[in-house]
Amino acid sequence: MNAGVRFALFTAIGLALFPFAFHAIDGYAGLATQILIMSIASIGFNLLLGYTGLLSYGHAMFYGGGGYVAALLLIRVMPQQPNLWLAVLGATLAATVLALLVGALAVRLYGIYFALLTLAFAQMIYFVVEQSQDWTNGDDGLQNFPAALLPIGPYSIDLGTALPALPLGPFGNLSDIKLWYVFAALVLFGVMVGVRALTRSQFGEVLTAIRENEERSTLIGFNAPAYRLAAFAISGALTGLAGALRALYDGSVPVDAVGIDRSGSFVIYTIVGGVQTLLGPVIGTGLIMYLESVLSARIDYWRLIEGIVFVAVVVFLPAGIVGTISKKAKERAQKNRALLTQSLRARNGGGDSQSESNDASRRGASAPGGAQAGPERLSK
Amino acid sequence: MVALTQALLNGLVLGLIYVAIAVGLTIVFGTLRLVNFAHGAFYAIGAYIGLIVAQQWGLGPALVAAPIAVALFAVVLDRVLLRPFYNKDATSQILVTFGIALIVEETLRLIFGSTTLQYPPLPALATSFTMGPIVYPAYRLLFALGVIVMLVLVWLFMQKTDYGLIVRAGVRDRTMVQLLGGNIKAASTIVFALGAAIAGLVGAAASPIYSIAPGTGFAFLVPSFVVVVVGGLGSFWGAVLGGLLIGELQSVTTLAFPSAANVVIYVCMAVVLLLRPQGLLGESEVIRQ
Amino acid sequence: MILETKALGKSFGRFAANADIDFSVEAGELRAVIGPNGAGKTTFFNLLSGTTEATSGTIFFKGNDITRLDGTKRVHLGIAKAFQTANIYPEQTVLQNCRLAALAHTQGAFALELLRRSGRLSGVDALAERALEQVDLGGVAGVRSGDLAHGDKKRLDIAIALATAPEILLLDEPVAGMSRDEARKTEALVRKLASSMTVLIIEHDMDLIMGISDSITVLEAGRVLANGTPAEIRANQRVQDAYLGGHSEAEIEA
Repeated sequence: MNAGVRFALFTAIGLALFPFAFHAIDGYAGLATQILIMSIASIGFNLLLGYTGLLSYGHAMFYGGGGYVAALLLIRVMPQQPNLWLAVLGATLAATVLALLVGALAVRLYGIYFALLTLAFAQMIYFVVEQSQDWTNGDDGLQNFPAALLPIGPYSIDLGTALPALPLGPFGNLSDIKLWYVFAALVLFGVMVGVRALTRSQFGEVLTAIRENEERSTLIGFNAPAYRLAAFAISGALTGLAGALRALYDGSVPVDAVGIDRSGSFVIYTIVGGVQTLLGPVIGTGLIMYLESVLSARIDYWRLIEGIVFVAVVVFLPAGIVGTISKKAKERAQKNRALLTQSLRARNGGGDSQSESNDASRRGASAPGGAQAGPERLSK
Repeated sequence: MVALTQALLNGLVLGLIYVAIAVGLTIVFGTLRLVNFAHGAFYAIGAYIGLIVAQQWGLGPALVAAPIAVALFAVVLDRVLLRPFYNKDATSQILVTFGIALIVEETLRLIFGSTTLQYPPLPALATSFTMGPIVYPAYRLLFALGVIVMLVLVWLFMQKTDYGLIVRAGVRDRTMVQLLGGNIKAASTIVFALGAAIAGLVGAAASPIYSIAPGTGFAFLVPSFVVVVVGGLGSFWGAVLGGLLIGELQSVTTLAFPSAANVVIYVCMAVVLLLRPQGLLGESEVIRQ
Repeated sequence: MILETKALGKSFGRFAANADIDFSVEAGELRAVIGPNGAGKTTFFNLLSGTTEATSGTIFFKGNDITRLDGTKRVHLGIAKAFQTANIYPEQTVLQNCRLAALAHTQGAFALELLRRSGRLSGVDALAERALEQVDLGGVAGVRSGDLAHGDKKRLDIAIALATAPEILLLDEPVAGMSRDEARKTEALVRKLASSMTVLIIEHDMDLIMGISDSITVLEAGRVLANGTPAEIRANQRVQDAYLGGHSEAEIEA
């Protein structure tokens, strides 16, 4: 079974079991669905930060923007026949266009200026949204719009429908889960598999190269700004998709969805979880949203803890939780491989050393000391 | 006419606050190459400390206590947390200072509550200045004057003292200064503390004019970044010019098109970033491809 | 004439790093660019590769004006540069470093291939492996390039440039900081490369230069001081005064 299939399988199983395990630790099913949706946004954000190396301080414009567009489509364009596909599609498209527009201006700027420009645009959009009473209901946000139905073939599915009842002990009841969770899980699954393929694709390879050494990448012929723009657009699209889903799920869009705190939250989820990993943003989102929900009911200073955790991660675990675990696992795997290679050589005497060191090079061992230690040992 | 003059005066006051915060931001960036998203926290801490001290002992002591307290906090921050980040990439700096800003904001919220605090009604604040048809609070004018004096002192420090020289040279060529034996570590801490103290002082002095809430720090920080970008990252006079420009722009727009008041400054920043990314008075560093 | 400049200049404010440079080289030549420190040699290469934009003059490649083209486009035209300080992807394997260059060459400056893996693009792997063979780094293809010795990193830098299938190769001090052995290997490499492409080389090692160059251009204070064969340059009095210290090589050896 290749790595990709294995990944898909584990993801699917994880998503299937998650709501039940979640219930056992006091998480309610609705929150589980929200976590999945927000994870889509975090993955989108991480595509830009972890893989392209750009810190955007304005991703709320895509998230909230997607939410508002989806809601407005339902309220103004199809109040009689609320169609979830169209609402989500329209919102994602709008977010992509916005990302292309902002990106076209922003991708030629470095570091701090990029962050500030994205912040500027997000703030602009926030204030415009806050002020437009007619369109966006200003400070109150949009509420009570018609619940969207999901047309599949001849059926129109109401995602609010619960699964049939089936008691599962400490893991709650199957009927805790609504079809919304199933839908969100399917979308997240698709996003995860898709983004994983993307990072391993030709496009992803170039993105990594540009992030690692832009000067060299330009001088071997890659158009770095074009790649950044594409990454920005995909990132905005994913975040907009999440915003639309959240709006439809909640049935409302608060004005905070385009606010600066929301932009900040993606930064926190992703950094804590782990940039440059696929699972990191998901874990980070889940962890923080869960703690937020559980702790904020009990202690007043939850946000303070969040800030301290964030700073601690930035200072001590820059790879994030998942990133650090994955690094340690890789290091241990390499150590084991090196030990195994050495012990094999010691056992086999001289003959196999050439093929083994070829194996080591092909595997891309980043511990050349391990590969070179062999022949020296043999000569003793 | 009356309204316009008042708006212009308001713009001057607001602009000077922006200038004060932006000057701290810009000299810290210029010398330490540190992008400090927590700079607004200095302003907020100064405002709150100023408030408590003013409640007990009046305005004068408040204006002394606040910058000192903030400077101490800045020194602690510098020693304990921020040193290793001076040479790191901008993203890491933004992240860690953003985290610190979060912590400070939440701590202030826990201590003082989320609601906006009212400044104690001190007699010094009650008087008004009358110039023909225009009646303007005297305190605001004094505030403006005070900030200008403070900026002049900062400028003199930069131009006339040894530390100031190291700071200015450091903006141009940090390595060279170190090689020439300039005590850049001490100068760095001083610059950082100075920038913080300025923000803290202005925070304490401005709190009778503008409200104090935990989010005030960030609320002033974001426009200050706009100022720094417009004026030019690293340029003292850029911060002055940018601050006054943005302050006036915001104030006049509030008068003419109130709903656009907040948006217009970001439009301004976006335009500058696209047409002249180094800012009006900034050096033409390589900041775009 | 494959590459030509007319009155090429680069000024930083009032400082003219390069001024009024008329330069031309034929296809297949091995041209050395020499001169004292600060003569503007690296600036000249940066102007040719597109890293820096000229403030005056024009550059022609195969008769076409490329002065306003950026570096990325010039690589695709066939002008590649190896850096003075090895500029590689330290986290990637040696092979991947070259594959990236080969990928850029094969797919173009931008390709929105979101699902296909780069290995499926025909020619990429072959081009990369060939570049590695040419610099004799094939044996360490799987090693993390940041772990290489200094000399190997510089050769890798050359391999990266080769993997873009250039017609003109700009080598900026390729043997700087190398041991005698490494320098000899690199000299052999440069000779070999010169037989299949145009090579421009900046170097301070006079033995190397005199030994392998077809012709030499001497820069001083940003301007061209002299042009000629190694013998002509050796005999040129002005070059002696400016660069070689006023003594001919024969005198030094005596």
